[in-house]
Amino acid sequence: MGIPPEREDVKQQVLYLSQITMKSHLLESPISKCPLYLACHHLKTERIQRDWERQGDAGSEGQKLTVCPIINGEDHLRLLNFQHNFITRIQNISNLQKLISLDLYDNQIEEISGLSTLRCLRVLLLGKNRIKKISNLENLKSLDVLDLHGNQITKIENINHLCELRVLNLARNFLSHVDNLNGLDSLTELNLRHNQITFVRDVDNLPCLQHLFLSFNNISSFDSVSCLADSSSLSDITFDGNPIAQESWYKHTVLQNMMQLRQLDMKRITEEERRMASVLAKKEEEKKRESHKQSLLKEKKRLTINNVARQWDLQQQRVANIATNEDRKDSDSAQDPCQIDGSTLSAFPEETGPLDSGLNNALQGLSVIDTYLVEVDGDTLSLYGSGALESLDRNWSVQTAGMITTVSFTFIEFDEIVHVLPKLKIKFPNSLHLKFKETNLVMLQQFNALAQLRRVDQLTIDPQGNPVVNFTLWKYYVLFRLSHFSMQKINGTEVTQNDMIMAERLFGILAHVASSELPQYRLISILGDARKKQFRYLLESKGKKPGIINEENNDSKRLVGENTNRATLNYTTRDFYNEKLEEIKEKKKFCKTYIEDLVKEATEINMKNEALQKLWPQMFIELVRDAVIEIRNKNSYMKLCLQQITDQK
Amino acid sequence: MLSPERLALPDYEYLAQRHVLTYMEDAVCQLLENREDISQYGIARFFTEYFNSVCQGTHILFREFSFVQATPHNRVSFLRAFWRCFRTVGKNGDLLTMKEYHCLLQLLCPDFPLELTQKAARIVLMDDAMDCLMSFSDFLFAFQIQFYYSEFLDSVAAIYEDLLSGKNPNTVIVPTSSSGQHRQRPALGEAGMLEGVEASLFYQCLENLCDRHKYSCPPPALVKEALSNVQRLTFYGFLMALSKHHGINQALGALPDKGDLMHDPAMDEELERLVVRSKLHRTSRQHRAKEPGAFGFQRREKQEALERVSSASVPTPYHYRWEPRE
Repeated sequence: MGIPPEREDVKQQVLYLSQITMKSHLLESPISKCPLYLACHHLKTERIQRDWERQGDAGSEGQKLTVCPIINGEDHLRLLNFQHNFITRIQNISNLQKLISLDLYDNQIEEISGLSTLRCLRVLLLGKNRIKKISNLENLKSLDVLDLHGNQITKIENINHLCELRVLNLARNFLSHVDNLNGLDSLTELNLRHNQITFVRDVDNLPCLQHLFLSFNNISSFDSVSCLADSSSLSDITFDGNPIAQESWYKHTVLQNMMQLRQLDMKRITEEERRMASVLAKKEEEKKRESHKQSLLKEKKRLTINNVARQWDLQQQRVANIATNEDRKDSDSAQDPCQIDGSTLSAFPEETGPLDSGLNNALQGLSVIDTYLVEVDGDTLSLYGSGALESLDRNWSVQTAGMITTVSFTFIEFDEIVHVLPKLKIKFPNSLHLKFKETNLVMLQQFNALAQLRRVDQLTIDPQGNPVVNFTLWKYYVLFRLSHFSMQKINGTEVTQNDMIMAERLFGILAHVASSELPQYRLISILGDARKKQFRYLLESKGKKPGIINEENNDSKRLVGENTNRATLNYTTRDFYNEKLEEIKEKKKFCKTYIEDLVKEATEINMKNEALQKLWPQMFIELVRDAVIEIRNKNSYMKLCLQQITDQK
Repeated sequence: MLSPERLALPDYEYLAQRHVLTYMEDAVCQLLENREDISQYGIARFFTEYFNSVCQGTHILFREFSFVQATPHNRVSFLRAFWRCFRTVGKNGDLLTMKEYHCLLQLLCPDFPLELTQKAARIVLMDDAMDCLMSFSDFLFAFQIQFYYSEFLDSVAAIYEDLLSGKNPNTVIVPTSSSGQHRQRPALGEAGMLEGVEASLFYQCLENLCDRHKYSCPPPALVKEALSNVQRLTFYGFLMALSKHHGINQALGALPDKGDLMHDPAMDEELERLVVRSKLHRTSRQHRAKEPGAFGFQRREKQEALERVSSASVPTPYHYRWEPRE
């Protein structure tokens, strides 16, 4: 131990002391290495100690001290040892003002008190007592070692003045967090094992701290001990027994954040480990960034869809209000729109789920939340909101467009979708599955509009927002009208031969009537309309190739050939229909006046005819009479005729 | 044809009674609209076709509501077309809601107003539980009365309400369109102990109404018959009686008797032909898609279909066409 041989008395005392320290559990604390402790002098402790030991050897507990004995005449005492007793209060030692070391390990002390005169005290051992609070240490400014392990302390306090303290042992207490450590400018070792610590603060205020033991606590994330990264003096740390040590990212996160460490969990850190740590940490960072981006995107998508949904609801309510106003007192029909609104609104409650604060801040950067959303996910193209329909005009790469087999429409009026179906047909030729949700499909007639597509294999009409699904016959009508598609599935269920036959049975006559009983000119005009529209669209679309036009021709020819009998069942959207009716009004007015004129003429002629019929006999008689009267006198008549002839010349 | 009454009427009245002008105007309008297409095959042929279709009752197909409603003949034709096209739905036994029937109506006339369908449904359901299901025949007959006699019914509603509230029925009543029927419900509540009005008094007012106004009304004699065995009646009870009365149905001439409602052998035959064709079409499509065992399947189908058709066709002139060709 490096003591010069001349100092035999010191050696004896040191030996004795070291035996004592071996006996106690103080191996946990490196107090044995404290040089000052070894070098202190003591006189006459032996006597006291011996007295005590004799009492202890008797073996019965009744012979242990319950109070601090009054010690007279020992004012130069430096070391005092009261281990393994039943002392409940520290008292009767105020006169030992030269005391350097006080050992009260393993007693029943409930409160630190009675130490105010021990200004020279350097070592205070109060382990394994019942102390609930650190207090009354104000005057112990020279304190070098403070051992409070095995007590009931819940809070670190009242030690900020101990600027010479080098070792602080608070193991096996009830601490839940670590802070209030400022002022401990000499602290090199801090033992906090076996507590309930969840977070650590202020450690970066300890300029000399080298060893920090946090084993067997409740630390679960590195953020709760983030101050450790800022402590440049730390070289040795233990986290074993904490939840954080079970994490997959534990080791490399600690190593990455605390480059100054030399030892972790009592094991030296190798260069290899450090390298691995930085590599792994980089990968973690990448992954986190990616997932952060993903969650941002997802959040944005969710907000957009919510926004679209809200706009849709408002629009529906507005329409419903107009309808109810026009409908006057009919309470039945007034209820229905409200009910529909009620159900759609309840399906979209204001979702205020927990958002990461980081995400929230990032999103507030987005100044405008879109009113529509277009999403391509492998083979599905999803459109939310009517603004999304314009995206069909974009230049889609042939590859992307070719991969799309499913197109889904949500929160868009079906009538608006009808107008873009030709575009859909051309730009996404492989789209075989159509899905409609919240698109206001209310009439069977609307399905007629789907006939213009090239081919549909599957159709999904979500009951939400599509009242037509409530009708018993809707599936059969779809199968009937779109029989040329030979659909495989409707709303997920396979279409059987029986379904097709039933559809044909139910509506076949309609088709027959629609084709064979319409006069020729109407057939031509209805079919002609459809074909005219197609041509018009083709002429308008950019980048038309003659090949496409021929294809269109063939398509329509094929369609017409297969299904003339139902090709006349068309759907014109309400707006178009009303427009057409408006246009016809002018013509109707003209026709009315024209016919009226004709009728007037006809009736005039008729009247004249009837009048003539009535008057004719009379007129005839008069004509005959006049002629006879004229001819009665032959001579004068002959003269008259000659006169007339000469006059004519 | 050349009846003396016809010649006795002055020109305009005659034309108006037969609605000749309506058809002439409509014909010319159609001509104007489809000028390019029609000019290809001649105006004379167009007029022939047009008036042929008017006679056959197919002119109202897929036309706007204002035209469908314009003349009694149009209304009858529409009713008949609706019956022919959707008789199969009724035959299938499905009970449908008012909205579904309205959908079917809209297939034939895109802007058919919901109000009329609702009124028709009210007759069937006796103004109760508007979401109830209705059978095809019930709905059709009620709809016939409502649609064909809609103006008449509006006036009747006004009269009924006046009678309920105790006003003098012989004062001049001006029908105030749809509001009359809407005011029904509170009035019914106030009717007190006895429901409805006295039948004979009611009938007197109706007779006056029929005499006074020019729009079509059911023949008064038949109405009297319908009211003969009741002391008191409610508005919807009266309408229900009208709709169920065979005589009125026959007088209208649009629909067959209730018993024969599902029978239309000519159409059934046509339907079978279509079903067969669709089955062949589907199997041939499957064959095109290269499904295994197509040939045998196909031929069997044809045979089956032919056999089925020949058994289904009740003696009709076309029976012999369906003998399988050896």
